[in-house]
Amino acid sequence: MNQLLLFFSMMGMALWLSAQSTFPVAGIADEREGFYAFTNATIVMAPGQQISGATLLIKEGRIRAVGKDVSIPDGAVTIDLEGKYIYPSFIDIFSNYGMPKAKKAKKESHQQPKAQVNSLKKGPFHWNQAIKPEVEAVELFKTSAEDAAAFRKYGFGAVLTHKNDGIARGTGCVVLLGNDKAQEMVIKNRAAAHYSFKKGSSKQQYPGSLMGTIALLRQTYLDARWYIKTAGKVESNVSLEAWIKNQSLPQIFEVGEKWSVIRADKIGDEFGKQYIIKGAGDEYQCLEEIRSTGARMIIPLKYPAPFEVSDPYRAMQVGLKEMKHWESAPSNAAYLEQAGIEFALTMAGLKKKQEFIPNLHKAVERGLSEETALKALTTIPAGMLSMENELGTLEKGKIANFFIASAPVFEKRHIIYENWVNGKRYVVNNMSVKDIRGSYELAFAGNTYPLKATGDVARPKLSIHPDDTTRIPVKFDLKGELINLVFSFDQKPPRKMIRLSGYFEGRNWKGRGQMEDGRWIDWSATFKQEPEEERSRSKKEKSIKPGDILLPFQAYGRKALPTREHVLIRNATVWTNESEDILESADVRINDGKIVAVGKSLAPQGATVIDGTGKHVTSGIIDEHSHIAIKSGVNECTQVVTAEVRIGDVINPENINVYRQLAGGVTAAQLLHGSCNPIGGQSALVKFRWGQSAEGMKIAGADGFIKFALGENVKRSRDNRNKRYPDTRMGVEQVFYDAFTRAKKYQKETANKLSPIPSRKDLELEALVEILEEKRFITCHSYVQSEINMLMHVADSMGFKVNTFTHILEGYKVADKMKAHGVGGSTFSDWWAYKFEVYDAIPYNGALMHNQGVVTAYNSDDAEMGRRLNQEAAKAVKYGGVSEEEAWKFVTLNPAKLLHLDDKMGSIKVGKDADIVIWSENPLSIYAKAEKTFVDGVRYFDQEEDQELRQYIAAERNRLIQAMLAAKKRGSKTQAAKPKPDDSYHCKDANP
Amino acid sequence: MLKQVTYILNILFLSCFTLWTVQAQDPVPASPQTEPILLIGGTAHIGNGKVIENSAIIIEAGKIKNIANAQIIKLGDFKGKTIRCEGKHIYPGFIALNTNIGLTEVNAVRASRDFDELGAINPNVRALIAYNAESKIIPTVRSNGVLIAQSTPRGGLISGTSSLMMLDGWNWEDAMYKADDGVHMNWPQSYIRRGWWGSSRGMEINKKKKKDIQKLADIFEAAAANAEGSRSPNLRLASMAGLFTGRQRLYIHTNQVNEIIESIRFAQSYGVKKIVLVGGRDAWMAADFLKEHDIPVILAKIHSLPSRSDDDIDLSFRLPYLLQEAGILYCLSYSGGATGSRNLPFLAGTAAAYGLTKEQAVAAVSANAAKILGIDQTTGTLEPGKDATLFVSSGDALDMRSNQVEHAFINGKAIRLSSHHTMLYEKYKGKYERGE
Repeated sequence: MNQLLLFFSMMGMALWLSAQSTFPVAGIADEREGFYAFTNATIVMAPGQQISGATLLIKEGRIRAVGKDVSIPDGAVTIDLEGKYIYPSFIDIFSNYGMPKAKKAKKESHQQPKAQVNSLKKGPFHWNQAIKPEVEAVELFKTSAEDAAAFRKYGFGAVLTHKNDGIARGTGCVVLLGNDKAQEMVIKNRAAAHYSFKKGSSKQQYPGSLMGTIALLRQTYLDARWYIKTAGKVESNVSLEAWIKNQSLPQIFEVGEKWSVIRADKIGDEFGKQYIIKGAGDEYQCLEEIRSTGARMIIPLKYPAPFEVSDPYRAMQVGLKEMKHWESAPSNAAYLEQAGIEFALTMAGLKKKQEFIPNLHKAVERGLSEETALKALTTIPAGMLSMENELGTLEKGKIANFFIASAPVFEKRHIIYENWVNGKRYVVNNMSVKDIRGSYELAFAGNTYPLKATGDVARPKLSIHPDDTTRIPVKFDLKGELINLVFSFDQKPPRKMIRLSGYFEGRNWKGRGQMEDGRWIDWSATFKQEPEEERSRSKKEKSIKPGDILLPFQAYGRKALPTREHVLIRNATVWTNESEDILESADVRINDGKIVAVGKSLAPQGATVIDGTGKHVTSGIIDEHSHIAIKSGVNECTQVVTAEVRIGDVINPENINVYRQLAGGVTAAQLLHGSCNPIGGQSALVKFRWGQSAEGMKIAGADGFIKFALGENVKRSRDNRNKRYPDTRMGVEQVFYDAFTRAKKYQKETANKLSPIPSRKDLELEALVEILEEKRFITCHSYVQSEINMLMHVADSMGFKVNTFTHILEGYKVADKMKAHGVGGSTFSDWWAYKFEVYDAIPYNGALMHNQGVVTAYNSDDAEMGRRLNQEAAKAVKYGGVSEEEAWKFVTLNPAKLLHLDDKMGSIKVGKDADIVIWSENPLSIYAKAEKTFVDGVRYFDQEEDQELRQYIAAERNRLIQAMLAAKKRGSKTQAAKPKPDDSYHCKDANP
Repeated sequence: MLKQVTYILNILFLSCFTLWTVQAQDPVPASPQTEPILLIGGTAHIGNGKVIENSAIIIEAGKIKNIANAQIIKLGDFKGKTIRCEGKHIYPGFIALNTNIGLTEVNAVRASRDFDELGAINPNVRALIAYNAESKIIPTVRSNGVLIAQSTPRGGLISGTSSLMMLDGWNWEDAMYKADDGVHMNWPQSYIRRGWWGSSRGMEINKKKKKDIQKLADIFEAAAANAEGSRSPNLRLASMAGLFTGRQRLYIHTNQVNEIIESIRFAQSYGVKKIVLVGGRDAWMAADFLKEHDIPVILAKIHSLPSRSDDDIDLSFRLPYLLQEAGILYCLSYSGGATGSRNLPFLAGTAAAYGLTKEQAVAAVSANAAKILGIDQTTGTLEPGKDATLFVSSGDALDMRSNQVEHAFINGKAIRLSSHHTMLYEKYKGKYERGE
């Protein structure tokens, strides 16, 4: 394998060192040295290094000299570039130039796609079709004159190209954007390895979620380590071999949104990899987190179009987040620069390449320095590819990749004349082409008219404007120094034409022409000013100060994160959940994120005093079963056991429901995997720290939990077409026995250090072993008594415990057995009859379990009900007569116990976390409202502040709508306004 | 203090348990009223905004004969059953509109779903005859105070014809309160979700909308013509004739503000006489329009998340208040389905927590609903001459903390408050009590 690597790199070198070719000569050899001297130019040798009146000397595709005092040797063709500029050509590090076109994605259907369980790629490859590290871009690469020209037009001379398909996408190669043979254009094979979170063309079921994708990547890293250890003796796997070989290359990871930058980087951290991450252009929304990854970024210059907001009702469909992103996206690069994050720029993602330069200019107008912009297109991508000795600057010995422009590239009026690739000339605009754009005064036959030349430099449009509303198009022909205009003032045919012929005199034109009636006249066009439209637009752009960056970047986000408070709540009814039960006229003091005092007539000791008269104070509600704030899939449905997937990988911290839960007094939750397989994924225990990152929301030091599920959702027998085992409760039991039998075998094998075959770390079985070793705890979705009983038997015989049965709607039938097993019950208050297995669900379930001594909680499994869990607790009073004190524990202390958090949360006790809610009245009442919600002593919700945030949202929306209308009026194309639903799931989702 | 309250509550519960033990029996339909009943001493929430403390209500032959303050009313010669209601609350039976009660038993079991007929245009299918009087869901709903329901078909562009049912009876004829009260139309939405269930589902513009509206236009055009001329043998057209005479209501299900206006204008253009808006999430934004055209609103379940991330977080809860302030006739509904309808009283509780007075909230699930349905002459309030359809709760019925229905009457019949749920409760409570 190493030999192979050496061979390839030698091949790469060979292309470098010799101008010889392996191709036979056809006809008469026509080899030219390509010996040119470009003189009198302003040469930008490298970002920030510019010399004027300088010479660039190239020969045989290489730069031979550059500088002021370069003597021009004999035999060099001299090109005088007086007044013109030379730049090192740009490098696009994220491209699929020359790759086979990806298959057109099928239109999304409303039907669940047909299941493809195995990879369709036959042979000794990875079992998963989306893992294809063996793909070598160089083997797929074909030059394309048309596509290369499209890049060259905007100053690009080289790209890193790869096939952007799949999760592990294989390698990319660096190619020059000339039209010569592919053998000559490829300058670096295996220049980078590519990854993403997208399955691409693979229709294989696994992975069916983002967390599944992350788990698959993790497992592949581990499999590769194992493969090295086994030295291919256990299996031969082309994909794993390629994966291993690719590890020494720069690792480029493409993501679709800012939080996925963090997700990707975390995977890298686990396996000692630092990815270069191709972002989505929204990085400014969480700069601090992005910076702390230490990753170098590849940034698209893709800006959303303004929304169509002319109809005020339709405009309501667009969220503040999307509106703000429209405004701020062009500032992204400037923000990244300010934050000191190193990045390259790419054309990727642009609908049309012609947007690139205007968007680049926009970024600069928004504050991106020209030097950084230039670096991001030259030296930084070269450095990322370890090709700084070949590309990126104009220095002796480097590849002769440069372009000639009429003016600095950051000036709108610049024209790229020629783009030289590998020492060969590609004409973009004829150097003799004149930029006639601007306003003129056209004079003939005793009258004057405003004349405008607008549009593309190479194909400008001419028009006469006799008054503000009339526009007379002018046909014209430009040949060297001569110009010829044809137009008519007649509105209707037959239009009689006026024809003018003339020549340039500086920026003015003059000559003779013939009127409609054949009369000869003199005419002139006097240059007045640069294109008006552009001037005003750029001025406008410079004046734009993008709006506040909200934390999170969402409605109800704040301009700054709230901080811990020192607060004394006085004279309130305090529900302690401790032996004191409910204290009347009591005080609670919180400081440094903890409850520091509970009692009567407490001294403030410097705390801000909140009058709690008439109010009730409780610890925060804990939702044992929630699916909010999860990105791209709550279920990894594709396999029966998916213990390897982790909700903690895919928390979406800016889901609006987080804020809404706070407004319902909820401070913590278990974010669970769904229920579509018997052994699902690992939970995340979070606090609703609105504005923090996903990591910031996680509860540090919390025990690990995992979702199990029983019954209809996992056996899927509601679907007549179900082909996935199990289809009955009988099969469900066997799945558990099988999984734990495998886990035990694995446990034994991995413990045996003397085994001749190194054991493979299997993340799925690791999680099950953690259960066996009481390091991970089960929350099991369950309904009917038979299956509840069954799992307790499986647990007893396999040597583990079930921590919590969730839903557990028939818990009341086996509450005594549950008590004996030591398992808790987290149920719905009164849901029933939505499917057959809940036909015996009764609202007295909670009371009956509680009365049998089962630790009982009420959960939501629903973003809406989650914010009314206080009322759900009251149903334990209504149905079964649980006392109010005990009913309240159903949503506070008891879920804390079930989640092993009761040492820190769940009651008002000195030393516990200051997760505190102030209620307007008895919290069990339907009339109660959470007025203030503290998490760790931070006031994440306050009714008064909420009113201010509403006003801010309204004002901000109005400002942005006016800005979008103005943009539309200036000619921006708009995008349709449509609602964007958030990702909030129930556990039955993805389970028709 | 609170402990004392809890103690008192516990005693109340204990007395309820005794009640249940008595009622741990099949919730068989009640027999007709045989003797006059006097409810005395309770706080009567009339339903029209008024409250009578220490009330006396005399029920005779299924009707409310008299209601007044117990000190005013003459009871000297009362012969019949007296129920003491001191400290308790009495309400008109709550009315659950836009439910599929009786049409579904277990939603996920296809064979038990009888509310969504094939095809898009089904004005002629009738909920009435599919209403399962034996549904185990019904007793669980009525035992929280919901005594009348509109059994409503769903799906398609025109779902079918609903009927008003009393939540007690041996069969649908027995339970029928008003047959075929109206036709339900689902106005095509501007945006629909794309992708299959569970994939990442964005919203997209509904390209079928125009076509669907044309389909509706075709049937309304033909039906309107049929209403004026001789009866057509076409069942679909015939079933819509009442819309143009005012005999039946057209229930338009839609939520977005421009669609509310668009759909109502559509119906009016064909001469539909009585239009009711159902859903109405954005109705408050079209308040002037609705008021001008006298369109009442059946609000969809207000225990819902706001539809837009930027909305006020409590917007759904405040919708009743917004309509109340605008002077629009509205009522609440638990559109989520059959089983959830037992929580209808708590929607009213939420409405009261977010702006309404408690009596306005009571009206929003009783008198207002009756008015919208056109049955307010006979039900919806506790007024003399109206049906004796009412219930007694030991506490505030709008709050789950205190909603305990002790007695309920439909047309004077004392209905059983046991259910599948209380029976299972008693069964397993007994199991543990026996230590088995």
